[in-house]
This record gives sequence, C-alpha cells and structure tokens, in this order.
Amino acid sequence: MQATETAPETDVRTDEELVGLVVGGEVDCFEELIIRYQPRVFGMARKYFRNESDVEDVVQTIFTKTFQKLGSYRGTAPFEHWFMRLSVNTCYDALRRRRNRPEHTISDMLFEDENWQNRLGNIPSDDNPEGLEQARELVHTVLDQVSDRARIVLTLQELEGRSIREIAGITGWSESLVKVQAFRARKEMRTAVERFLMKEKRL
Amino acid sequence: MKPNDVNKYRHMKANETEQQFLKLAKTVPTDERVPGGFAARMMARVREQHSLETGSADERFLRFARNLPANERVPYAFEKRIMARLRELLTPDPLTHWSRMLWRAVAPCLGVMLLAVLFSAGEPTDTSPIQTAGELESTDFETVMLASFDDLELTW
Repeated sequence: MQATETAPETDVRTDEELVGLVVGGEVDCFEELIIRYQPRVFGMARKYFRNESDVEDVVQTIFTKTFQKLGSYRGTAPFEHWFMRLSVNTCYDALRRRRNRPEHTISDMLFEDENWQNRLGNIPSDDNPEGLEQARELVHTVLDQVSDRARIVLTLQELEGRSIREIAGITGWSESLVKVQAFRARKEMRTAVERFLMKEKRL
Repeated sequence: MKPNDVNKYRHMKANETEQQFLKLAKTVPTDERVPGGFAARMMARVREQHSLETGSADERFLRFARNLPANERVPYAFEKRIMARLRELLTPDPLTHWSRMLWRAVAPCLGVMLLAVLFSAGEPTDTSPIQTAGELESTDFETVMLASFDDLELTW
C-alpha cells in the first residue's frame, strides 16, 4: 500500500502488523486498515456499480467480511493481495445478485447533440464533474450489457491493466480459464458496442 | 424550298432518327452478366469495413474507459460507520444468543426423542403385568407420602 511506503516508518505500522493486532483483540486497529484502503475500494466498487447506495453497501460488505475472515489470513502473501482478492470476489457476488435489475437502456445513452463515437474521443477533464459523471454512465451502460464474468475480466485486464497471472490470483481461476474468459469478454463487449452503433445508425 | 422549311424538315428528320434509335436501344436486352465471385468480393469488403468500424469503436471505448479517472471519493466518516457496525457485531445480543442456543439444542432433542420412540416401540405389548407393577408402585408411593401423617396419628 502506498500509504505504508510514503509515511515515516516510526508512525506507521504495516498491514500485517495491524492484522496481527486486530486478531489479537485490538479491534480499533481495524479502523486504520479501513482508512488506508477505503479510497481504493470505493474506486473499485464504482467501476462495477453506478448507484451510490449499491457502492456503499458493497464496500461495507467488503470490510465486514474482511474483519470476519482476518483470522484466516495466514500471512503467506501480502495482505493487500489477500484483501483485493476478497474485494473483487465480493463485487462479483454482488453483481450476480443484482443481475436482474437493469438500470439504463442503450437508448438512454444515445446523445441528441453528439455522435456516440465522437463522445468516445473526448474524455472530460477533472474540472468538469458533470461530464465525468456522464462518461462514467456511458461506460456503465456498455459494461452492463456483458456478463458478470466478462465484466470482471474486462475491468481487471483492460481498465486496470492487470496481467493474466494477477487476474488468476485475484479471482482464484486458473490462468487458462482467465484467458478463455478474456477472449469471450472482448467478444461480448464488441457485440455490446456494435449494438450501440446499430441503434445510433437506426435513429 | 424556303430556309424555314429546310429547318423544319431537318428537325423532323432528327426526331425520327432519334425515335428510331431509341426504339433500337429498347430492343437491346440488358446485359445482366455478373463477373465471377463479385458478390463474395463485395461482401468481403463490406465485412472488412464493418469490422474496421466496430473494431475501432471497440478500441476507442476501451481507451475511453481506461482513461477515465477513478472516483475514489469516500463518504464522510465512512470508517466510523463501519467500525460502529463491527462493534455491533461483536456485542453479544441476548436474544440472538438464546435463539442460537435453541437451534443448537434441536439436534440433541431430536436424538432423545428418537431414542424414546425406539425404547417405547421395543416394550412388550402385554400390559397386565405392567399394570400390576404400576399399581404396586402407586401403593408404595402413597405409603411413603403419607408416612409422616401416619406418625402424627400415632403421636396424637
């Protein structure tokens, strides 16, 4: 974790030390772990869920699960890896549970003033929160069209730039399964994009 | 022949020739022959164009999604909320504890019940000696219970 590396050593305890303390009964130390990881977890959860209450729910579940399972952390791998694996799996479970609730349709994301392809060329700047929000909505609408597995793989591989091995480590799937899923995911995404383009051409 | 008549005649002549030519042109059948493999070549081009269009849209979408900055905003005092929830989980709720114990007792109770059923099923069906024994037991019980009263009568 970056926070651990940048801060002075005297003040900051490592993740593993904190875990040891929490498991030993010092529950309050868990708050430090939450503060350390919550921005990343929120950032990750917002890639899978667009509704803010869904995001908060899933982040809460992630931290609660982490706390409950801390005893099973053996310390053979860095805590960060263990934690990210748990987080991604929790997101995947939550995605599967809310699969039957489509929130936006393709038509909602077609723009009156601008061509869909042109919109993809303009990434809004940080000082345009509304534009950023619209851009995120667009990404969500396309990714909502693909299966949960495909979404997980696409997010990890294409958006976060993780390697096949890393994805295998996070998801617990074999490397060959990740490769197959990645191929299928790209295919599904292509179909989703095509659907957008076809719909736009028809209008 | 006047010059005007000549022009008129020429005009007429031209119209006639034109019409004859058109008539002839109409009689010529349309050449509908298609070069070999034209449809396949055309479809290959269409497919190529289509995949180029969608392929690039696909890539553009990914580039777009990748370059969007992650929204890592954390709600105010979120960690406090989580900690409060965790502390709640750690505090034993008497009702939960009681219901958990009841659930745990279900299996042993069922076991005892089954054993009782098995024992009662194994008992002999002839009830006459049992009745006698039961009667004896009740007499003994009565004697024991009323022993103190008997003693009282004696002392009185």
